[in-house]
Amino acid sequence: MPGPIDYSKLRILPDYDTVEWWAGTKQRKYLVRQCNACGHKWFPPIFPACARCTSMDIGWFETAGRGVLHSYVVVVQPIVGAFIGAVPYVVAIIELDDCKEADGSVTRVAGVMLNDEAEVAIGLPCAVEYEETSDAKIVMPRWRVSGTAANTWKFAE
Amino acid sequence: MGALTDKYCIVGVGETPHMRPSNRTTLSMACEAVRKALADAGLEARDVDGMTSYSIGDSTTSPHVATALGMRLNYAVDIFGGGSSGEALVANAIGLIEAGYCKTMVIFRSMNGRSGRRMGGQTPGGPIPVALAEGDGQFNIGWGWTTPAQRFGMSAMRYLRDTGCTTRAFAEIAVAHRYHASLNPKARHRSPITIEDHQRSRWIVKPLRLLDCCQETDVSVAIIVTSRERAYDLRHPPVFIMGGYARTLTDSPQWNYSREELHYVAGNYGWKRAFGMAGITHKDVDFVSCYDAFTFTTLIQLEANAFCGKGEAGEFVKGGRLRIDRELPSNLSGGHLSEGYTHGVQMVIENVRQLRHRADDACPGWAEGRHSYDRAAGCRQLKQADICCGMGWGWENMASCLILRGMAA
Repeated sequence: MPGPIDYSKLRILPDYDTVEWWAGTKQRKYLVRQCNACGHKWFPPIFPACARCTSMDIGWFETAGRGVLHSYVVVVQPIVGAFIGAVPYVVAIIELDDCKEADGSVTRVAGVMLNDEAEVAIGLPCAVEYEETSDAKIVMPRWRVSGTAANTWKFAE
Repeated sequence: MGALTDKYCIVGVGETPHMRPSNRTTLSMACEAVRKALADAGLEARDVDGMTSYSIGDSTTSPHVATALGMRLNYAVDIFGGGSSGEALVANAIGLIEAGYCKTMVIFRSMNGRSGRRMGGQTPGGPIPVALAEGDGQFNIGWGWTTPAQRFGMSAMRYLRDTGCTTRAFAEIAVAHRYHASLNPKARHRSPITIEDHQRSRWIVKPLRLLDCCQETDVSVAIIVTSRERAYDLRHPPVFIMGGYARTLTDSPQWNYSREELHYVAGNYGWKRAFGMAGITHKDVDFVSCYDAFTFTTLIQLEANAFCGKGEAGEFVKGGRLRIDRELPSNLSGGHLSEGYTHGVQMVIENVRQLRHRADDACPGWAEGRHSYDRAAGCRQLKQADICCGMGWGWENMASCLILRGMAA
């Protein structure tokens, strides 16, 4: 498991479009945006309109917080001071299981893995967990490998 | 062909040395780059009546530079933008001159990219002490995922998985562009490297090593665009603008990480517009430039612009194919990887010099277009340099292109 993230060196500043998303993680809910008109889903929630139909009548879809690891990087040189104690850590893009749409579009999210590089591979199932931070208003989602899969792919140096 | 193909030209280019640190303001560097571009073109400050620049809020503005140099501008607009903006501003210049808003236009970029504001938010001294995660940043800074290397690394990783190529393909780019830098007295890193040197260099963010990453530098670059009629009277043989595309966006209605393929560059449909406008095919292109912020961005730009098939770039670049005197020379100044990082404009500058047959290399007669073509003696000039395709990159979702030709084509 990677070392701890020093959340005191990170100030998350929710805005008008994202405050409800952060309220969601505080309640251990993983939300993505959803269009009330056509049902399209997307992430991150900074986008205030539906890219499929342009509707601004939008709400939230509560996902199960499970998905498949789509890609990842292993940060060796820390850039954000809060992560100096965490290197090397894996940031992953996760394709959510319950956001696939009829037109083939998918919703992917990103986050920091609770697993080390050795345990991570493209194609593995992952599930969200929640981590309290030094800011009482912010609960941070993290991801953990939750099972095995056939046809996984791992970066070989 | 496009209605304005070959009607506008790049007539002047100039840059400051690639420094770290510059110990100068972005305004001071911009003035020097613009003066050098004017001198290169054989123009006076009073001959220029349009100026434009791009920045990410880290630079000076056209009104400041024009005031410093005593220029009276008919048009001065500065845009917010990063990589791929230079090629796009050339397109703007053509439209503005054609419409009569101005006659001759300077495009500049000035940045203390190492000693000032660094990509990804790092301070000149190192990691960000306290990071403010707002806007987009809520969904990347909070995950310790900020720098271009970290962000684009996701595409690089997925590319390796999807294509089956290895990081030795990345190394080919580092080696080829470094070889060109070894022929460029202005380049920051001039010692040739090998595939093994690349493979041994330290990790920055897997799958990217130190030698996959460009050189952050403090630098200013400038180019001057005017009409063909004016260009003929100036100092150098004109370089004609044949076609391009400008900050083309991805065809996916999803933010990058939900796109069908993370590594499919937005130029994937733009190239047909550019080549159609220019009236050429890929076979007509003598050399290319690629936005090599990282080695692998070159690979995926070659694919998106159809120089090779999708997923085939790893095989395509094998064995030094992108080197000078080989099939498709790329980034002849050494590019971002080895010359220094300018947010893209240095590629346009080098392409202009090559097309004029006046690469500023070790040949004593380079300024008059006399070259030995002896690489061991430090000659960087291509023998055949008639048409060039320059590919710009903002990120996977945004790309530009600029096809240029010299007098001979």
